[in-house]
This record gives sequence, C-alpha cells and structure tokens, in this order.
Amino acid sequence: MSNKKEIIIKATKLKKSFITGDTEQTIFENLDLNIYRGDFTVIMGSSGAGKSTLMYSLSGMDRPSSGEVVWNDKTITSLSDDRLAIFRRKNCGFVFQQIYLLDKMSLMDNVLTASALSGANKKESVKYAKELFELVNIPEITRKKFPSQVSGGEAQRAGIVRAVINKPEILFADEPTGALNSNNSTAVLDVFTKLHNDGQSIILVTHDKKTALRGNRVLYVKDGKIYGECDLGVYTSDSKYREAKLNNFLTEMGW
Amino acid sequence: MKKIANQILYNLKKEKSSFISFGVIILITALILNCAAVLLCQVDSAYDTKFEKLSTATLNAIVPEVQNSSELEKAIDETEKVEKIESHTAIMTEATVKDFNGADFTMNTVFYNIDDKRTLNNFEIVNESENDVDNPIYIPLYVSNFGGFALNDEIIYVIDGKYHSFTVAGVIEEMQYGNYGLGLLCVYLPKEEFAELADSYSDKAVVEYSMSVKSDASLDEVKDDVSKAIENKGVMALSILDSESVKGTRTMVTDLLVLILAAFALIILAVSVFLSNFKVKNAIESEITNMSVLKALGYTSAQIVASITLPYAIVSLLFAVLGIGLSYTLLPVLCSVLTVQSGFSFAVSFDLLSFVCVACILCGVVSFFTYISARKIKKTQPIDGLRGNISSKHTKKNYFPLEETRGNTKFLLVLKQIIASTKQNVMLFLVSFVLTVLIAFSGTLFYNVVVEPDNFMSALSDEVADVIIYPKSDSVSELELKLGNDNRVQNSLKYMSAIVKIEEKTVTAFACEDFSKVRNDVCYMGENPKDADEIALGSAFEENMKIGDTVRVTVDGITKSFQVTGFVQSVNLQGELCELSLEGYNSFFDQNQTPALYVYLENADNAEKITKEYKSDYTALVTDTVNSYKLQTEAQDMYMGITVVLVVAIFAVTILIVLFILYIVIKSLLVKRRQELGIYKAMGYTSSQLILQTTGSFMPVSMVAIVLSSFLAIYYMPAIYQFIFETLGVMKNNIEISFGFLMLFAVAQILVNIMISIILCMPIRKISAYVLIKE
Ligand SMILES: Nc1ncnc2c1ncn2[C@@H]1O[C@H](COP(=O)(O)OP(=O)(O)O)[C@@H](O)[C@H]1O
Ligand SMILES: [Mg+2]
Repeated sequence: MSNKKEIIIKATKLKKSFITGDTEQTIFENLDLNIYRGDFTVIMGSSGAGKSTLMYSLSGMDRPSSGEVVWNDKTITSLSDDRLAIFRRKNCGFVFQQIYLLDKMSLMDNVLTASALSGANKKESVKYAKELFELVNIPEITRKKFPSQVSGGEAQRAGIVRAVINKPEILFADEPTGALNSNNSTAVLDVFTKLHNDGQSIILVTHDKKTALRGNRVLYVKDGKIYGECDLGVYTSDSKYREAKLNNFLTEMGW
Repeated sequence: MKKIANQILYNLKKEKSSFISFGVIILITALILNCAAVLLCQVDSAYDTKFEKLSTATLNAIVPEVQNSSELEKAIDETEKVEKIESHTAIMTEATVKDFNGADFTMNTVFYNIDDKRTLNNFEIVNESENDVDNPIYIPLYVSNFGGFALNDEIIYVIDGKYHSFTVAGVIEEMQYGNYGLGLLCVYLPKEEFAELADSYSDKAVVEYSMSVKSDASLDEVKDDVSKAIENKGVMALSILDSESVKGTRTMVTDLLVLILAAFALIILAVSVFLSNFKVKNAIESEITNMSVLKALGYTSAQIVASITLPYAIVSLLFAVLGIGLSYTLLPVLCSVLTVQSGFSFAVSFDLLSFVCVACILCGVVSFFTYISARKIKKTQPIDGLRGNISSKHTKKNYFPLEETRGNTKFLLVLKQIIASTKQNVMLFLVSFVLTVLIAFSGTLFYNVVVEPDNFMSALSDEVADVIIYPKSDSVSELELKLGNDNRVQNSLKYMSAIVKIEEKTVTAFACEDFSKVRNDVCYMGENPKDADEIALGSAFEENMKIGDTVRVTVDGITKSFQVTGFVQSVNLQGELCELSLEGYNSFFDQNQTPALYVYLENADNAEKITKEYKSDYTALVTDTVNSYKLQTEAQDMYMGITVVLVVAIFAVTILIVLFILYIVIKSLLVKRRQELGIYKAMGYTSSQLILQTTGSFMPVSMVAIVLSSFLAIYYMPAIYQFIFETLGVMKNNIEISFGFLMLFAVAQILVNIMISIILCMPIRKISAYVLIKE
C-alpha cells in the first residue's frame, strides 16, 4: 500500500443490511475502507458477495444502514436526496453492466444530457464530448445512432463517455463487460486503462480475472468484509508477474 | 377464454388503480347517461298514461257565458272529427296570487266548481285536508309546489283589486293546464264558494267546451275547424288550448335536461375512449416483450388481443352497471325538481331498455375502440417484439439533436420528451379541449346568470318594470303626472295585455305607448309597432307570415287589418303573442281602455316602498299596485341558485375526470419511464428537475388545448346557447361571451391541472438511481 497517496473516500464502520419481511440480511458490517486518488481499484468476490452494494454505498448512489462515508472531508452519508444528486453530478460517473443509455436519444445526445448538468458551456461540452468519442474510438456517424442501432461494445463505450463527460472525481463501473463478448470487452477495458493512465480514479466491480488485471489495487469481498487486498502495480499489456500474483491472491482468498 | 383467463386477471391486477380510475369515469358516464335515458323513456309515457287516466280532453275552448247558446254547442259538436263534447261553466279572470313564492303572481285563472260532474278533464286529489276548513280551495300541483302552498295554508287571490282569502283544502293533479308557461292556470272551489264567486263576477262567467277528438284526426286541423265554428257564430273564444301545446310546455324543461345530460355524458364517453385507447397503446408498447413471449409459446394473436381488450370490456360493463344502479338514487331527485316545473308528478321505475342500451353503448364503444388499438399487435412478428422493435418507428429520427440545436439542454430535453410521447399528448390535447368546452359552457352560464343577470333574465321573461300600477279608469293622466314629479321614478309607460285573435289564432297581445322605451326588447326581427295600423307577431307566426304582410286582428267582435312590422319572442307564451301600439289596440273600442302603468325606478330598492305608498296614498286613483321588481329578483335568485349548483357540479365532475385522467397518464408514464428516470438520477438530476421535466412533457399540450378551446369558445359558445334558447322558443338572446371570464376559467383550470400533476408526479422522488442496480 502506498502511504503517500491522497485519500478521496474514507469509509468507517460501514454497515448495510436489507430487511425482507421479518428477516434482516446483513451484507457487510463494521467495514473500514480508504480509496486513493489515481488508483484503479478493483472490487472482486463471488456472485452475491455484496460487491455492487459496497460500491454504491461508497458512491452515494445508495445509503448504508449505518456508518460514515467521507469524500475529501465531506460527509455524504448525511446529505439529503437532492444534495446527494447534486453531489453525484459533480463527483461520480457511473458505468453499468446493462449500459442504460436513454433509448430515445442518439449516443451524442445521451452524453450531452449528462453534460447539461455541469453548467459548463455547451460548445465546450460538445468539443470535449467529441474528444472523448475519439478516445473511445466511436466515429462521427455512430455517435448519431440510437442505442438500439449500435453494438453492445459501442454502446458501453458511449456509456463510459457519458460517465466521464463531467470530469468526475471517481469513475464507478459495475461489471462493465459482463454483457459483452471478448472482442468488445477488450475494447472497453482498453478505454478504462487509457482513462486511468490519464489520471482518472476508477472503482470497478468484477468477478472476471482478466478484467481485474487492469487495476492496480484489488479488494476481495467475502463474509461481509474486505477479506483481503492485493497491490498489483501498474498495468502492462503483457505481464506474467502480475497475472501470477493475482492468481495467488485469489487462491488465498478461496476463489 | 379459459386459456386467457389468467392473462386477463394478470392484466387487471397489474394496473388495478388505473382500471379503477377508468371505471369511475365510466361510472359517471353511465350515471348521467342513464338518467337521460330513463327520463327520455319514461316521462313521455308517464305523461300520456296520466293524460289517458284522467280522460283529459284534447281540445278546450272557453267562451264568455253571455255569448253562449245551444247553437254554439251544436256547431262545436258537429265539427268534423270531434268525438265527444262536454261543457262546464266557470269563472275566468286575471287574478293575482299574494305571496306566491314570496311575491305577487299574476295569471289568467279559471275557477271551476269541483262538484261538477265530469267525464272529461278529470282530476286526481293528491292530498286532502282532513279537517273542515274555511273557504276551502283545491289548487293544482304546480301552484302548490312552485308557489309554496301546503295543505291548510291561506292563499289570497286578488281579482279586480278585491281580496279573496281561501284555505288550501286539497292539492289536485290535472293534465288540462299545468304551468306558468301556458299563461293560464285553474283552481277548483266547492259548490258554495264557487257560487259566491260567480255571483260577484257574473261578467267573468265563461263556458268551457272540452272535446275529445277522433284518433285519426289531425289536432291542428280540428282546432282550426272548431275556432272557425265558434267564429261563425259571432262568438269570441277567450282561449282554445290543445293538448299538444300543453304537453310541449309542460315537458320543455325535461326535454332540455335530457338534451344537456346526454351531451354531457357523450363528452365524458369521448374522454374515456381517448383514455382507454391511450392505455392500450401504452400497454402494447411496454408489454411487447411479454406478449411476444406468449406468442412464441404459441398463443394466437386473437387470444393476446382479447387479453388486452377484455379487461376494458369487463371494467366498463361492471362500472356501467354500477353507475346505472347509482343513477336510480339521483333520478327521484331529478323527478321532484321536474315535477315542480311540469306540474305533474311521476316516479321512475327501473327501466330495462335504458339499462341494456346504456350498458351496451358504453361497453360496446370502449371495446370497439380498444380492439382497434390492440389489433396492431397481430402484425408484429414475435422476434421483432422480443427485440423491442415495435417502437423502432419512433426511434428512427433524433428530434432536436442536442449537439446541433441551439438552446438550453434541459429545455430541449422537455421538447424531446414531448415528441417521444406524441400519442399521449394527442390524447391529452383532445381531452383537455373537450373538457374545456364544459368549463367554458358553465363559465358563460355563470357570467350571464350571476355576474350579469339581466342578460339571462331578459331571455326568459316578458317586459318587467320595477312597479306596476293599475289606475282607476279616469285617473291615468293624473297618476302619470304624479309619477313624473316623483324624483325616485325614472319614467313610466302605459302598457297593457289582452287576448286577441289573429286570423284564426287566439293569442296574448301586448300594447304599449312606446316600445322603444321598454326595458326588455323582445323584438328579434324587424321592428316594434309604432303606428295604429302596425303589429309585431310572435315567433309562432314566423312560419306563415313575413314582414310587410297584412293580418286580420279581431278584438271584441271587431276585425281590423294590420301590417306586420316585425317578430317578437316569448318563452312563456311559446311565441303565441303579438304587440300592438296603444292607439292600435284602442281603435277597437269607442272609449280608450285603461292601461296599466309600468313604472321604472332610479333605484329599484325603492320598489317595495313605492308599491305600498301609491296603494295607500292614492286610493282614489289606484286599484292595485304590484312590486314586480321583487317578483323578478325572486325568479332571478332561483335561476342563480340553480346555476351555481350546475356550475359547481360541472366543475366538480370535470376536476374529478381530470384527476383520474392525469392519474392514469402519470402512473403509466412513471412505470414506463422508471428505468429512464433512474438513469437520470444516476447522472445527478434531482427529483424536482425530473418532476418539472415530466410535468413539462405533457402540461404545455394541455395548456395549449385549454387556451385554444377557451379562445374558440368565443365563436362556438354563442351557437350552443343559441341552439338551447331556440329549443326554448327564444330567438334572440343577450348572452354575452366574456373573454376575460373565459380566460379566468382557463387559467384556473390550468392551475388545477398543474397542481394535480405535480402532486401525482411526487412518486418520482421515491425512484432512486438504485433501481438500475437490480436487473
Ligand atoms: N434491494 C435489495 N433488497 C434485498 N436484498 C438485496 C437488495 N440488493 C441486494 N440485495 C442482496 O444483497 C446481496 C448482495 O448483492 P450484490 O451487492 O448485488 O452482490 P454482487 O456481489 O453480486 O454484486 C445479495 O444477496 C442480494 O440478494
Ligand atoms: Mg453485482
């Protein structure tokens, strides 16, 4: 763990439980966690372990049952719903497994719908959106299409553009390649790597080893806590060492 | 059917509250429509049944007793198609009833001897006093209900200035006369009281010939023949009434009510059709995947269409039946209101025909239109449905691309949303437009009855002065002088009414020294008469005469020719009237007749004082005075009361319908856009932004419709009122369409809509971005 790194999120004594009927199901409890600026943090764990729940609690998309989440000295767990929405538009970008583009709008308009919230000049937003579309390799003609008319990979890359258009502090991604074939997956993951290399902090949830390799810090969620974590170092496209290290870690965790 | 029963149940359950809202609208429609249908089916036959039961004569002619003779009787009896005649003596006079619904009420009244043997024109005693009363009198239902006279009450008739006090010994129902509209009412006195009255007014003694007419005869022809027969004997008939005209006036308000109820119900029915169509289209769009799965499983299109359509059919049938049932609690109230006006009592019973018709119409119309909308699912291939391709039509074009379109993005998003929900907006446009017609109608009514009551009253009444003074025969000019010097008096007019004959028709004539000075100018075509040989005819003559024609007028056995200068209206006399100049009327007599003085005041509040003063201070000059201002304001208050109730009812129903419609629209919108709203929330849009965006996506359309409809109301509303008044016999009305008032109502309606929408959109606050995480 690099101590020099600056903390963005500090979570303390976090608890999340769901009440269904009379039974309470605790997903995690007494969980402490720091997230650092510039990190590509990967959250791993088996299906149903509570990876997504944890990520959304950290991001202010959902409220933990108890405990505190502090972003750069700002306690978001005490914000009202509307304050939280305003907080999200400035600080978080989200990428979902199901992509969730607005299906009645072109890819470009989906992105601009998000940028409208930042209060930024529209011309500049359009310019920046174009740069980002270049970055994710979506040509002009595709940007004008509707979500139903493009491939899953293209849609997801547009989803990423939408997520980062307002230059969020952290980009959150919940199994962004879960619904994609391997070619499309690689293209999408390359975008994450590029963004990370440009300094974007990322938190990504996955249960796929290949995807996890893209991160520099891997957290393993199990039994309602951070069961363990592993520092992989910076991603390079062809590193046997990192792959072996991750494999060892996962075996240790009981993957 | 069995195979899809589950599907139907599923569809019903899934949108329980929407279906209930829809059902309530159908219920209201059924309730109103069934009231109209039952009245339409039953009032007429109830009238005819009672008419038959009381062996009512189809034709009644009244002649002065002094002119009666056995030859006259023979002549009438021998008239072709007259089946049977019967004669009675009676007293016919203009009489004023004191404290009739709080005012003096002047009307031509026929006093009968109740002990006369009758085979025609029987009556039924509805209510009779158990004790012996002084000076007993039997009054008709209309006088009892409308005038407010109960058993054992005192009722005072003023005849030629003399007071006659009676006690109500019974209330009777008869079908020969009936209500104010005929200008003629009757009362019955026991033998002794009748004889006493007959002694005092031997000059007013009349003989009435009641006739039944052969069933194959045309009533109009027989009426003409009878009046010719009477005329040929040199006799002047005081009144010839036929049962058709009587029925017309007595059922007029009922007919009008049926018309308005039916129109109202049809408007709401149109609204429910728009609504069900919208729902079906929406359901197909959002359920296409499920439906395609069913198709893939082997369900036929017909089965799927049925599973969508049948819930609507079932709900509309169920609620229609409920509404019809409820209407039977409202109908007795309507009946008792109508009884007051029509003067005959009737009770409605369960009407199978109305039940079947209303239920079938509602269920049928709804089913038909939902089927039309649901039908398109037949054309969808299952695989297209599974891919969600049914709405591909809408997503081909990106309206208002944010990149190229100038303008605020949030505003453009609202525009996009409006385009995306075209169908819904078309529906809302139509519904808002149509409902605004109702609002504009009641708003206009309110304005003309409550804010500017003269507009409305002038259409329904004859000339109304503030005070009417009946001078003694030689004191007219002296009184005029006194009135001229009274600074509370604006002006006074010599005015009188009498019964005259125009060609073959007996009508009421009004004579005035100067019609240009009257307050309520009833002339709707041409001009009022000025010279001694000029006449204006009632609207009943318009069919056969035109301006410039010459007509023969008979008064007191003398016939003279007059030139027609125009046409006048009267709702009360059914257009059977005429106007003469005062000289014209007096030209029939050697000596000028004594007119009444119509007095117009500077301040109508003085009416009561002046009425009393002139009566007590000038006993030598005055026979009687009438506070006609009071009479008029009382009638006005009654109309205002009815109008306020009507306007409030229309408003309540409209708001209720708007509420249910918005509920359905917004509910389905929130369901459909749940995920989309979640995405917006994830991006950081706040609840209030999204509530505004959502209301913004349909409010403008309904606002435009409301404003447009209110605006157009300036053009279509006069036509609607003209139509209604014409069915009442009023050709010219002073109904004003107040632009300001329409806009005021429109704004109120818009505000209510916005408020309701925002409240209904509140659940958006509960949709969290979190919905996205759950697949
Ligand atoms: N809204 C909810 N209500 C009840 N249980 C929930 C809810 N959301 C998540 N869970 C439960 O919490 C557990 C963790 O879910 P999740 O965080 O989605 O797991 P994963 O690690 O696969 O992302 C699961 O058992 C799930 O059933
Ligand atoms: Mg998950």
